[in-house]
Amino acid sequence: MTVKVLIVDARPERSRALEQALHEAGFDVVTRVDEHDDLYAIMTREVPDAVIIDAALPSRDTLEHMGQLGRRFPKPMIMLAEEETPELTREATSVGVSAYVVEDVQPALVRSMVNVAIASFESHRALKGELTRTQTTLAQRRTVERAKSRLMQAHALTEDDAYQWLRKRAMNRRLTIFEVAQAVLATDDSES
Amino acid sequence: MNDRQTPRDAWPSPELDTLTLGMLPLNDAAPLVVARERGFFAEQGLDVTLSVESSWAGIRDAMQLALLDGAQTLPLMPLASTLGLDGRRTPMLSALTLSLGGNAITVSNALYDDMLAADPDAMAASPTSARALATVVRQRRETGAPPLRFASVYPFSSHRYLLRYWLAEGGVDPDRDLELRVVPPPLVAQQLEAGWLDGYCVGEPWNTLAARRERGRVLIGSHAIWQNGQEKVFAVREEWAQAYPATHRAVLRALLKACAWLEAPAHRGEAARLMCERGYLDVAPSVVEDSMLAEGASLTHGMSVFHRHAANFPWRSHLLWYAGQMRRWQHLDVDDAVLDECLSRCVRPDLFREAADDLGINYPLVDAKSEGEHGGAWVMEGRHGPLDMGGDRLLGGARFAPSLHS
Repeated sequence: MTVKVLIVDARPERSRALEQALHEAGFDVVTRVDEHDDLYAIMTREVPDAVIIDAALPSRDTLEHMGQLGRRFPKPMIMLAEEETPELTREATSVGVSAYVVEDVQPALVRSMVNVAIASFESHRALKGELTRTQTTLAQRRTVERAKSRLMQAHALTEDDAYQWLRKRAMNRRLTIFEVAQAVLATDDSES
Repeated sequence: MNDRQTPRDAWPSPELDTLTLGMLPLNDAAPLVVARERGFFAEQGLDVTLSVESSWAGIRDAMQLALLDGAQTLPLMPLASTLGLDGRRTPMLSALTLSLGGNAITVSNALYDDMLAADPDAMAASPTSARALATVVRQRRETGAPPLRFASVYPFSSHRYLLRYWLAEGGVDPDRDLELRVVPPPLVAQQLEAGWLDGYCVGEPWNTLAARRERGRVLIGSHAIWQNGQEKVFAVREEWAQAYPATHRAVLRALLKACAWLEAPAHRGEAARLMCERGYLDVAPSVVEDSMLAEGASLTHGMSVFHRHAANFPWRSHLLWYAGQMRRWQHLDVDDAVLDECLSRCVRPDLFREAADDLGINYPLVDAKSEGEHGGAWVMEGRHGPLDMGGDRLLGGARFAPSLHS
């Protein structure tokens, strides 16, 4: 049997590379979508045997629900082959790969598919120098801190005034604090 | 702090000093953020990293794979994980409730108009009844229109059962009359606008966000369905709690102090700021502030209760109420003996009391209480005198008297 795989990923470049790699390993990629597509409609139409989804996408929880609906929908990898895959599941989690698989796919094929996805995500990360969610949180925090000190120095503000300035601008422009902080840092000193 | 408190040097010292705890980007993760950023963890000798996960499935995986020491979870997660219903069978427990309430049900503008046209009286009722929705469902069936779609956030979620409770109370059969989905909170407003969803039950800041953008109408808050109902808990693996009891106790002390700190309305603005400024919640600060600062006294739709009314006490009866809802909809197929055993493993008031004793905080002497008996403030006997309890009204006036055998 050829395993039909659905890829859910918001980064087209990475998902194209993954599709290619899976194809070379003998898997049939039915389609690639990002999470702004209607997953219920796609899953019902394509009936994939497996789904590879970027673990950073909140839409994983939609797949959890479908997995609870019945046999025809793929289940989270952590529920499968309990004794066989904990290491692989841990490794997949650490590089941001989540897999969902229907129960009758052979464990060896599951391992192979997940390994292909792990390798693909890892090489993309190495290439792009992308950050994990925790690293992103820290990077955002540093950006906000830098923007505040820039404002404090340029306008002789207190830290609290600098925060209130960022907050007010975020409110007026419907932006997040981080986006305003980025804009502050992108401006030349002469303009700020 | 007070003279009931155990002297600090009598506290057992934590076995671990570095921890990673999981959370989702939600308002009610505030106790963890505050404990980290205001130094309550540090005060207990703990260096804590908060790992911001993207989905409840992500929290479950990381907990079951032992990549996290503990996490903010939905109240049903310890039970579902212990029974092997959710992911790999992994015993988990909670000894502290992080928050009560804070969810709401929102519908699209189009459905709101249909409901108003179908039954203006039901729409004028307070709280808003689902009776108007029942009429819309009937009309749609007669004209051959497809079923309406409603979403909650996870299969084993409080949101799912609060939504079903409200629907059933108004005469809507959630399984027959609607298509129920799971859609993550950051996507619901957009799906409402795209017409993929007609309504949803989620937590803050996501209701405020949709209402702000005029994409939907908030119909009812969770406090009007289950007043002061349990919402998020702090969970750890049973194995972890057994291996690191003093660390667990220190985490509980830090979270208790963070929750008490959050109770002061003056601190909520600062908490909102910490959430946004430190990168935990990537949403406009005004939205977080609005939903965090909702009037302290009245339980508006977005209001999370973090400490008062013995909010942090892990009631066995709270989890039993959720388990009862799961049974009501045929989502839980275990007998009473198994459920009882599970409840005593998954909910640990005894561990809560140790931490509360360290801090001299008052707590209930019993492990279970009834729900639906009190429409407003009442008093319960506590370890150090009377405890001011909040109302526990259930929509429609139902009463829940827990029968616990353990």
